[in-house]
Amino acid sequence: MELSAHTPAPAAGPIPAWQRGKVASWLVTVDHKRIGILYIVTAGFFFGAAGIMALLIRTQLAQPDLHVVTRDSYNELITIHGTTMIFLFVVPILTGLANFLVPLMIGASDMAFPRLNALSYWLYAFAGGVLMLSFFSSGGAARAGWTSYVPLSVQSPGHGQDLWILSLHILTLSSLVGAINLLVTIHNMRAPGMTWMRIPLFVWSIEVFSAMLLLVLPALSAGLTMLLLDRQAGTHFFAPSHGGPILYQHAFWFFGHPEVYIMVLPAMGIVSEILPVFARKPIFGYKAIAYSTVAIGFFSMLVWAHHMFTVGLPNYLNGFFMLSSMVIAVPTGIKIFNWLATLWRGNISLDTPMLYAIGFLSIFTFGGLTGIYLAAFPVDTQLHDSYFVVAHFHYVLFGGSVFAILGGLYYWWPKMFGRLLDERLGKTSFWLMFVGFNVAFFPQHLLGNLGMVRRVYTYHEHGLWAGYNLASTIGSFVMAVAVLVYLTAIVKGFKGRRAGNDPWLANTLEWYTTSPPPPHNFDSVPYVTSARPLYDLRRALKERGAL
Amino acid sequence: MPTLVRKPLTTLVGLAVALIAAAPALAGDGGLSPVTPNAPGAHGITDIYWFVTVLTGGVFVLVESLLVLFVIRYRRRKRPRDADGPQIHGSIRLEQAWTLGPVLILVAIAVVVFVKLPRITHVARANAAGPRLDVTVTGHQFYWEFDYPNGVVAIDRLRVPAGQPVRLTVTAPDWDVIHSWWIPALGGKIDAIPGRLNHTGFTAAEPGVFVGRCAELCGVQHAAMLNSVQVLPKATFDAWLAQRKEHQAAGTSTLGKDEWVGSCAKCHGLAGEGLVGPAIAASPTLLDRARLATLLQDGTGQMPPVGRGWSAEQLDALAVYLRGRFGSGT
Repeated sequence: MELSAHTPAPAAGPIPAWQRGKVASWLVTVDHKRIGILYIVTAGFFFGAAGIMALLIRTQLAQPDLHVVTRDSYNELITIHGTTMIFLFVVPILTGLANFLVPLMIGASDMAFPRLNALSYWLYAFAGGVLMLSFFSSGGAARAGWTSYVPLSVQSPGHGQDLWILSLHILTLSSLVGAINLLVTIHNMRAPGMTWMRIPLFVWSIEVFSAMLLLVLPALSAGLTMLLLDRQAGTHFFAPSHGGPILYQHAFWFFGHPEVYIMVLPAMGIVSEILPVFARKPIFGYKAIAYSTVAIGFFSMLVWAHHMFTVGLPNYLNGFFMLSSMVIAVPTGIKIFNWLATLWRGNISLDTPMLYAIGFLSIFTFGGLTGIYLAAFPVDTQLHDSYFVVAHFHYVLFGGSVFAILGGLYYWWPKMFGRLLDERLGKTSFWLMFVGFNVAFFPQHLLGNLGMVRRVYTYHEHGLWAGYNLASTIGSFVMAVAVLVYLTAIVKGFKGRRAGNDPWLANTLEWYTTSPPPPHNFDSVPYVTSARPLYDLRRALKERGAL
Repeated sequence: MPTLVRKPLTTLVGLAVALIAAAPALAGDGGLSPVTPNAPGAHGITDIYWFVTVLTGGVFVLVESLLVLFVIRYRRRKRPRDADGPQIHGSIRLEQAWTLGPVLILVAIAVVVFVKLPRITHVARANAAGPRLDVTVTGHQFYWEFDYPNGVVAIDRLRVPAGQPVRLTVTAPDWDVIHSWWIPALGGKIDAIPGRLNHTGFTAAEPGVFVGRCAELCGVQHAAMLNSVQVLPKATFDAWLAQRKEHQAAGTSTLGKDEWVGSCAKCHGLAGEGLVGPAIAASPTLLDRARLATLLQDGTGQMPPVGRGWSAEQLDALAVYLRGRFGSGT
């Protein structure tokens, strides 16, 4: 029991009877695993909601001059689709995975502050409710886009915009509390022997994810507070005669661009965990990947004005932000090549998690490369706010983050629930998703070049415009089918094959305990001597002839 | 390397090369690159676009073919699931190579951008065709207003001479929202921001009509905020500008109709039948210049003050047009 001094067992007070029920026990839980699962389930719900919004958007755009939804509804849909996917799905589901995995991966019994952990979840759920219910407020939901640029967002009538601000304010609190919790946990509760160069790469990504949230969320809060005051208290922070509309964009993007990496880094962390396990090799260049994660986090805070190349900044500033944006491509490239090298000479099992990880690699590479067009600022003046940009960020965020999340869930599901998910359904969902995604989003690059701008409820052009848009709509429905297949696998998964502790023969500590893990996670934790404690253990057992 | 491996790689590389070779042929109409440029600035942008495409295309082909190759070549087949691959933890040399390679590519792109930049952003003061034409472009919810130096006002369609430098001062009124000026064939976007004067310009090569649309979400009729530039032969343009000035002063220009179509009809319908805004065809305000002036100046309810800042000439033009169109018996 070398762990007992390190991570004290949870206080074993008597649990009141009312807290033991099937539902009540989830409502009052402070167990990081249960909170993680709550996060994931709630985020899954919002993914469904925002996905339905996406289908409505694509239906409206399937052909020229359609009137499936009204103009105002369309603007509400694009605003809430973007806000929901970013703030209520991708970030929270990554937080959920981090919640479940980080303590297990570092050999701790829980997060540093279990009650705070519950607070961040409940704030998140509450904020999500505020955003969804804003559809029913006077004047409908916010409709100024997920970026809510002033003055449009200041002038928007009704209370949708105010509720949007309220929701993001609550979410910011939730994320700040969660980020601090994760940082304290990673810094203080690692298993004996687990030095910084031995923590799993997913934990590295969560370390940087949390630090970035802590640094950039205050800028968003400040911007949103000024926006709220301009709307409701008659202040003039963003009035042309005072701070001007550009001030809001600086505040928003100082948060907004790092936010992109907040969503991508943990996805990269997931891929860094999956690839070595299914290629039966150590990750190639552990240190290079870890340092690249830190470098991306740092540089992501220096590139925000590349979203503002058309506001009329001087050329030297545009030049600076072009160069800083290009710098990020270097650590990103390092990661991609290290992942490729991990596959080289491996013994590759193409199970569902691996398929999604490989899908991530192939799509994210494309999305990263189209980012270089946008960094080259004269080219960006053509592509900015066109469908090229819409295509680019879906390649990065859906093809990147969401593919990794879908793979990660398949990979860790057995640990969470003790049962394996169906492989055939998983593979089917992957191929549908891969094909549907590319059919949906590749043509959007071409539409952007043809001159289609984002956030328009319709267009009049026939020919190529109509063709590409129809392809995109068809692709989006194929993706919806892929999600349904994935859901079927999950539903069937509750009766799936029992997993055992370590069904994938993985490397990290979460596979050392039972599936699902007991409330206190570990009875004991082996002394960690490398980044792959379970690999070391298996080898030791093999040498002794016990395996 | 066994032939089994070489084949898919060769096929992939071949396919990619064929695609890249076919790309320029399709460009301009397929959307593989920005629309066919009609000004030196837009040309410069498209040049950079293709330079980036060649370099990133190379990286894309390299990464994706290695990925496919490795997945095919090193898949498990009959090996046991737990058979380990070689325990290689990394290579400093490779790390250096794939750090330096991308750096060189990015430096090359940055150099090309800075070399091309003057051609893209510079608007000559004059050239052989004549002095620069300065036009103020104002983005309103939901129309573009163009003010020529001689007082001519145009809505939604900007007419310019071919071959002569044109400089646009792009802005939006203090009470309006952000719009973004974009005609893909003539160059990149520039935002029209309340309280800010932005500048852009172009020297259009060939006559023709070039369309674009507002690129920044500006409200409910953002999608209807279309704009176009008609490039006219120099002599035709000069004649048009002079004639329009006379007609505008005499109240016989199309300004009133253009205002109706650009600033009223996008929300109320071309016949005033109602669209986003209410039906106004039968509204007495249309025929009452004083009430019309107040309405356009102040807006009402959801209606923005579309005519705030208009000159008396502009108001008169609309009032006269509306009387002719909707006034019965006059």
